[in-house]
Amino acid sequence: MPHDVDIFAAEGNLRLPVMGSVALHTALFALALFGYLIPGRRGESWGGTTGGGGAMSATLVSSIPLPAPPNESKNVLANESKGLTVSPPAEIPKQDLKAIPIMAPDVKVKAPPKPTARKPPPTKEVAKEEDNRIPFGEGGPVSGPYGSFSAGGAKGGLSFSGGTGDFGSRFGWYVDAVRRKVSENWLKYEVDPNVDTARRVYITFDITRSGQPENIRVEQSSGVPSLDLSATRALQRIDTFGPLPPEYAGRYVSVEFWFDYKR
Amino acid sequence: MKRHNAYLVLFLLVSSALLSAQDWIRTGTGLGVEKIRLAVPDFKNVTTDSGTQNLAMTFNLTLSNDLRNAGIFDMVSRSFFPLTVPGAPQEVHLADWSSPPPNAAMLAFGNLSIDAGYLNVQGWLYDTKNTQSPQVLGKQYRESATDENARVIAHRFADEIIFRLGGGIQGIAETKLYFVSKRGGSKEIWQMDYDGANQKQLTHLGSIALSPHVSPDGSRVAFSGVTKEGWQILMYSLELGRMVSFTRFGGDNFSPAWSADGQNLAFSSSRTGNTEIYAVSSSGGDLRRLTENRAPDVSPTWNPKTNSQIAWVSGRTGLPQIYTMASDGGNAVRVTDQGYAVSPSWSPNGQFLAFAWVRHYGPGAPGASDIYVMDIASKQWAQLTHDGGRNDFPSWSPDGRHIVFQSNRTGKTQIWTMLADGSEQRQLTTAGDNSQPNWSFK
Repeated sequence: MPHDVDIFAAEGNLRLPVMGSVALHTALFALALFGYLIPGRRGESWGGTTGGGGAMSATLVSSIPLPAPPNESKNVLANESKGLTVSPPAEIPKQDLKAIPIMAPDVKVKAPPKPTARKPPPTKEVAKEEDNRIPFGEGGPVSGPYGSFSAGGAKGGLSFSGGTGDFGSRFGWYVDAVRRKVSENWLKYEVDPNVDTARRVYITFDITRSGQPENIRVEQSSGVPSLDLSATRALQRIDTFGPLPPEYAGRYVSVEFWFDYKR
Repeated sequence: MKRHNAYLVLFLLVSSALLSAQDWIRTGTGLGVEKIRLAVPDFKNVTTDSGTQNLAMTFNLTLSNDLRNAGIFDMVSRSFFPLTVPGAPQEVHLADWSSPPPNAAMLAFGNLSIDAGYLNVQGWLYDTKNTQSPQVLGKQYRESATDENARVIAHRFADEIIFRLGGGIQGIAETKLYFVSKRGGSKEIWQMDYDGANQKQLTHLGSIALSPHVSPDGSRVAFSGVTKEGWQILMYSLELGRMVSFTRFGGDNFSPAWSADGQNLAFSSSRTGNTEIYAVSSSGGDLRRLTENRAPDVSPTWNPKTNSQIAWVSGRTGLPQIYTMASDGGNAVRVTDQGYAVSPSWSPNGQFLAFAWVRHYGPGAPGASDIYVMDIASKQWAQLTHDGGRNDFPSWSPDGRHIVFQSNRTGKTQIWTMLADGSEQRQLTTAGDNSQPNWSFK
């Protein structure tokens, strides 16, 4: 047996596979280039205007007019920006220049110097955030929620559809009582302690003329069964919200109530 | 023809959509639930003689106190009020009230006058942020012109406001408190308004009367008193203004408690030698024994929501603890886990028990007796009084928002009230020793 056996004797045989590989890759690249360059062979863009068929117009979630929590406010005290409140400039009382009693005959009264017209310093435009600010000393909702339950304007936490449609604008106080009562009866400790946050759960129910909640059902689950159950129980605990306002003509009011859970 | 059909179908679709339409409320949590900011300016005095002045003062003071005590309002300070105070709807400028400084959400206003010996009061409640239809409430009252009636009218108007804005729960301004007072020498049953006014003595037994409990219809007060046959359940009729007879049981009988339907009365009795819980019908018949244990069982209270459960105090595990059972005596469950727990009172919605608890009891554990509230389903509890002497005998108000109790934090035992979260503690009595308060059902 010879000592110098060349274990790499088969090395020279690799040339053919390498050539093949290079050729194959070149062909693939050429194919991709070809596919890209030829128009009309590309996939259609979904939802695009050029696409055939009925393209759906998608609405961003953030543009759904869900109410903002009224307490959310930029802290106007603890930052370096100037306050949101514009102070009107103090009024300077006009001086009656003729009233200066210099009556000596040979003293010429010097005409008062004309006030030089000076441009007032440019006042900085202050961003208006009326809807989103809490004035000093007031923790409560400023511009609502009582009157701002206006029909159609979902801003204050409510929106209405159909019927006479004016329940919220006429009886904002009742809506607020409903919200307060449900919130009071919701026991957060019924939710699984392992859950930190959950999606919003929607409960719908009807309020009869006598004020009882009926047809309580989960409209959209949060995905957390214990949260859904605690929300349902909050409604079941309530005997009455008080009779519907006697001025209201409808037989009942439907309520959609959502629960936001955060530990 | 085809076009006609198409129109018809369209019309049907639209009309059915309109018919099935319904008012919807969409709301949720996390929107900042806080108290309603309410402004109550003095009612305008239309007639200006001195008699009306005094009645107006009583009325205005009572009304604002009632609304402040309700626990659901954030009252606007008087210094924030506009200079012109309205007395009638046409005098109201909502913008003055809805914007700062008053920044009120609700405005209660009105006027009062006296004609021919009658006090006339007109009152309104306005939603200041709703310029289209601001009126929530409009009421008119007419009673003979006395100080007492001025208070009654103020109570009624306050209760109307609380009923509307508080989610259908009746106000408590017209409720009464019954308690034991020793100010005349012996312990007798007394009565007062919920705010401590109009205190008056009911019984004149000259012995000892304890643990009053008024019936749900407000017609009778049951209590335990010393008689020739020992401690017995006694009855005082509020309608007749005198004692009425009730069945006498053997042994010593204590702490009667009415069920919320007025059908039954539970109490503790030692008629068989050992103190056990019994129930009788409201007429005194149909005696049933509910507990059977060698340890003492005392202080029953009914679940007012269902009338099918009773909470009571038992010493079967040593120190007194709170237990619950079905009203037929079955299914006894221990509620408190330690210490010394007595005097249970069941909340009107059936959800909570209020009781006095010394959590760490015994030598080397200087515990104070404080009022606690426990959610029965979850056994979670909250301490309502802190470091303020010995607090005992809690009793729920019918609206479930207040608790009355006795406390000796000022040196003498007196009656106090607080909101059910422990805030706004107020002393109601000052004269003599007063104890064991009970809040009427309505």
